[in-house]
Amino acid sequence: MTKKALDGIRVIDLTVWFQGPVAAQYLADFGADVIKVERPQGGDQGRGVRSIKALPVGDWNQYFLVINRNKKSIAIDLKKPEGQKILYRMVEKSDVFLSNLAPEMLAAWNLSYEKLSAINPRLIYATNTGYGRFGGASKPSFDMTVQALTGIMARLGEPGQPPIYLGMGSGDAYGGIMSALGIALALYQRQRTGKGQSLDASLYGAQLFLAAPYLQAYLAGNEDSALQHSRKKAPNPLWNLYPSTEKWVFVCEPNDDARFSALCRALGAQALSADPRFAGAALRAANHEALIAALEVLTAKRSHVDLMKAFLTHGIVASPVNNLADVIRDEQAWRNGYFMKAYCEEVQREVDIRGLPITLSKTPGAVHSLGPQLGQDTELLLLELLGYEWDEIEALKATGAIP
Amino acid sequence: MGRALDDVVVIDLSRRFFTSLSAAFLGDFGARVIRIDAPEGAAQASGGRWNHEADLIHRNKESVALDLRCERGQEIMRKLLMRADVVITDWQLDQLTALGLGYEAVAALRPDVVYGRISGFGPQGTDLHLPAIDELAAARTGMMPILPQPGEPPVYTGSGAMHATVMLAFGVVTALVHRGLTGEGQQVDVSLFGANMYGAALDIQAFLAIGKGERFLNPISRLDVSNPMSGSLYPTADGRWVTLTMPDTDRWWPAFSGAVGIPPDEPRFDTHDKRTETNRLALIAALEQAFLTKPGKHWREAFQRLQLSADVIERFDYPTSDPQVLENRYIVELDHPSFGRVKSLGFPLFMSESAARLDRLAPCIGQHTGRVLADLLGYDADRIHELTAAGVVA
Repeated sequence: MTKKALDGIRVIDLTVWFQGPVAAQYLADFGADVIKVERPQGGDQGRGVRSIKALPVGDWNQYFLVINRNKKSIAIDLKKPEGQKILYRMVEKSDVFLSNLAPEMLAAWNLSYEKLSAINPRLIYATNTGYGRFGGASKPSFDMTVQALTGIMARLGEPGQPPIYLGMGSGDAYGGIMSALGIALALYQRQRTGKGQSLDASLYGAQLFLAAPYLQAYLAGNEDSALQHSRKKAPNPLWNLYPSTEKWVFVCEPNDDARFSALCRALGAQALSADPRFAGAALRAANHEALIAALEVLTAKRSHVDLMKAFLTHGIVASPVNNLADVIRDEQAWRNGYFMKAYCEEVQREVDIRGLPITLSKTPGAVHSLGPQLGQDTELLLLELLGYEWDEIEALKATGAIP
Repeated sequence: MGRALDDVVVIDLSRRFFTSLSAAFLGDFGARVIRIDAPEGAAQASGGRWNHEADLIHRNKESVALDLRCERGQEIMRKLLMRADVVITDWQLDQLTALGLGYEAVAALRPDVVYGRISGFGPQGTDLHLPAIDELAAARTGMMPILPQPGEPPVYTGSGAMHATVMLAFGVVTALVHRGLTGEGQQVDVSLFGANMYGAALDIQAFLAIGKGERFLNPISRLDVSNPMSGSLYPTADGRWVTLTMPDTDRWWPAFSGAVGIPPDEPRFDTHDKRTETNRLALIAALEQAFLTKPGKHWREAFQRLQLSADVIERFDYPTSDPQVLENRYIVELDHPSFGRVKSLGFPLFMSESAARLDRLAPCIGQHTGRVLADLLGYDADRIHELTAAGVVA
């Protein structure tokens, strides 16, 4: 096995659903020994996603298995003091404790930062709250309901259309990578100081950065940046979406004369290039609606394949707007490991998974197993990592602290 | 107070918002981030208004103005790189190579450098030279056509680039952790393409697993969502929208049904299967009617009171004045020397032993040239003066 960046780092992953698991997934991909702690009855709720029908799952539980890859699973009933004692012993031997359970729940289970850092002062204690550590907001926090508050949904789409959600898991994924960043920072700091710390990456705080350029403009007084804008009124007609007979195309060119001429040549529209309304960047910006309408008439007659060929010939930067069927065949994604194959026990075959979006040249990440079965490593971890004897394990089973 | 990256020097060779912000995050947590600017690139036109963008993406940074077109400028650059723990860039590969700033050249000067780059489409493959333009990457990622309502144009969100920002920072700090233990540096690449894919994680992964389905390829009307109580949008009496995320409907139905005036034992909706399968469209229609009867404010209060996973969709004015946001420093108020009290995006991470800082706003081009040359290269005032007179630095 090749060396990994986070070899030797042990993570207690007490998380459910998506944000927390995906944060720990990034650590596990880069070699951390991630132990998922789950309740004995049912485990992480993400395991039950199929019955909820919130999203299509398929014949293997890709929702759970991909973000919990490279992890072990230990089943512990943390409501029981005996269960909490097992976790304390894990804390002695771990570097990171990560949870996206409510802080009140962690406190009720005697798993606060104060408690755990007293056991291991080197511990990095990471939480994913919904709305931040301070301020007292108390309500459920799921991806989309938090995204709703940030303002990003309300500014997307054509004017008058309903707000637009960035996609299932979009906010959780962002909170997850933010949390992984915080943990990496704390690990680096600990190399120098020898001390752990507590940190929080909330779903709300992270998602406010999903629209950073636009929210920052709003804060500077640009109220327009909070509102929906029509593509028919894009300020630079050369940087815009255009329809074809099939897919839309995204043209990405600066508004300058040379690029405008090249675009007109690509579209076989010399007349447009000579049109006095569009002579010069300022006029093109002023008459943007007319220019967009004129360009749209031209693009709408041709296929995206035909358009892209002409754009390539004339050096116009553009892309067809692909769909998911295109992306899963995109050679560039496979070549860079953004998609990978992995063996799935559940269906006894290789399946296609999201791979590694962060490429480290000398210590690349890897996927060696998909998500664990609930509690599959419980006894082994108790024996080998935590030093329990068999009779102690039997006693723990009798109390119900482990299954 | 100490900060996580207090001993890290970052050379920032970035041009785009998303990459510059990545370097700023490193600066927020203690790194000394030095931007290399072209001497003549001064004074971004801000038309007498606050340059809010620079004060976010270049906060906590220093600026060295250096002419990389001349040999003496390149020599100073090489010396600075010898002192760099991290390089952050988004330049095209051919530009970097031409100036001797590619990874191999930098690693020859500083073998343990962590070299982070945001690319358009990744370090491998036929498209590795395509420019780092987020719109191109988003268009390739497959999500744009299905975000809007049916019949509407594709939607570009910009969020993929923001994923790349954080992914690069995470990759770089992870590489620093590895370097701390082994002394080994390396390259870190994050592409806008990969970042966009992860910004839309669930749909892409589901399609990878299932490989077909019209509902993945075409927009789904909000009046045809798979689960009326999850991922759904409904208009209210005052034209505002509510959104619900209660996928496990059995858990929420008793409280939720009361809030929307449906008897909890209403026979059409009294099981999860009826709510999400047999009578799904009837429930969507019933909720559409119910939410229209009261304004957004009413619904927020009801959701809060009943602790439902639902909320009103807001515009930017809401987080701007939300005490929760200010209390957690997600948005901060700062004293701008020219524009007085202004609000700016703050810090998405809380760290108990490494509080995010705001030591300074964006530097002027070349504001720290003398100081950096003195601190890092040991140049004295005469030498700096001579270099300035010769136009090598500014």
